[in-house]
Amino acid sequence: MAKENMSPKQQWYKQIESTHETKRPLLKNCTRAFFVGGVICTIGQAISYFYIYFFRFTEQTSGNPTVATMVFLAMLLTGFGIYDKLGQFSGAGSAVPVTGFGNAVISAAIEHRTEGFVLGVGGNMFKLAGSVILFGVFGAFVIALVKVTLMKLGVV
Amino acid sequence: MKSTRVIRLSFVAMLLIVTGCSNEQNDSSLALLKTTNPDELIVGAGHSTKDEETAKQVKEKVSQFKELYDVSVVEGEKEFLVAYKVKHMQRFHMKKIEKTLTNYLESHFPDEKFTVSSDYKIFLETIRLKEKVENGTYTNKEAEKRFEEIVKLRDELT
Repeated sequence: MAKENMSPKQQWYKQIESTHETKRPLLKNCTRAFFVGGVICTIGQAISYFYIYFFRFTEQTSGNPTVATMVFLAMLLTGFGIYDKLGQFSGAGSAVPVTGFGNAVISAAIEHRTEGFVLGVGGNMFKLAGSVILFGVFGAFVIALVKVTLMKLGVV
Repeated sequence: MKSTRVIRLSFVAMLLIVTGCSNEQNDSSLALLKTTNPDELIVGAGHSTKDEETAKQVKEKVSQFKELYDVSVVEGEKEFLVAYKVKHMQRFHMKKIEKTLTNYLESHFPDEKFTVSSDYKIFLETIRLKEKVENGTYTNKEAEKRFEEIVKLRDELT
């Protein structure tokens, strides 16, 4: 809500609130996220080089197996309870890379395990990560439509 | 604490694994990381001195591009394969560089056919091919076949 639209009572409340609010260590959080995110990406780069070096993948194609491996590793770490600690330490640094996707799937699955396999795990596993998949698939569909149209028109 | 010990141990293990690789002295084992600058290579039977001359010229001309820092040229029976590494900050213009390089080569050597690639994998494979040809592991025919495979690898997208 914009400040002009607030009633005097709301403004007064906001003042009181700001005196009691604990200050967030913004710089510290950012630095932690930066370094942990950077380390995760470095590991990803190393895995990508591994696929280029030992298998028949080029720089173009090594992206797919690298993403799969990173997600798989994050799922394992979540299952063992290590990724939670990492997430508490680094915040967005561990949630923004693809590893955060694996974490979102498995942590939801573990959380709803007691409600049974179908209604619990199956029904809730993709509650968080499902929107990511849907967004990706739908986005790819729209872009493919645009590209096909442009190609038929002879622009590209 | 137990967790710090695990972290420290795994760090040491990583270090050992990484340094273990450096025992091999082949060019190809470090071709992804450092500048190799290999000589040009000609595969296939029966090449003339004119071929060698052209290959040398191609290598020289491509090396003059200031955006690139490592160039590998392989001449097959029908076409040239030019693999190169792009300087880090220039990697934003990778598509443009590829286009200019292709146009440049085609205008300077109108009789030859060129395949140009900035992919690390292609570069690595040209180095490996060169080593195998020089070791005598590959016969002329095998080398030519491998060369064709590398060229095909460039167009692979999945």
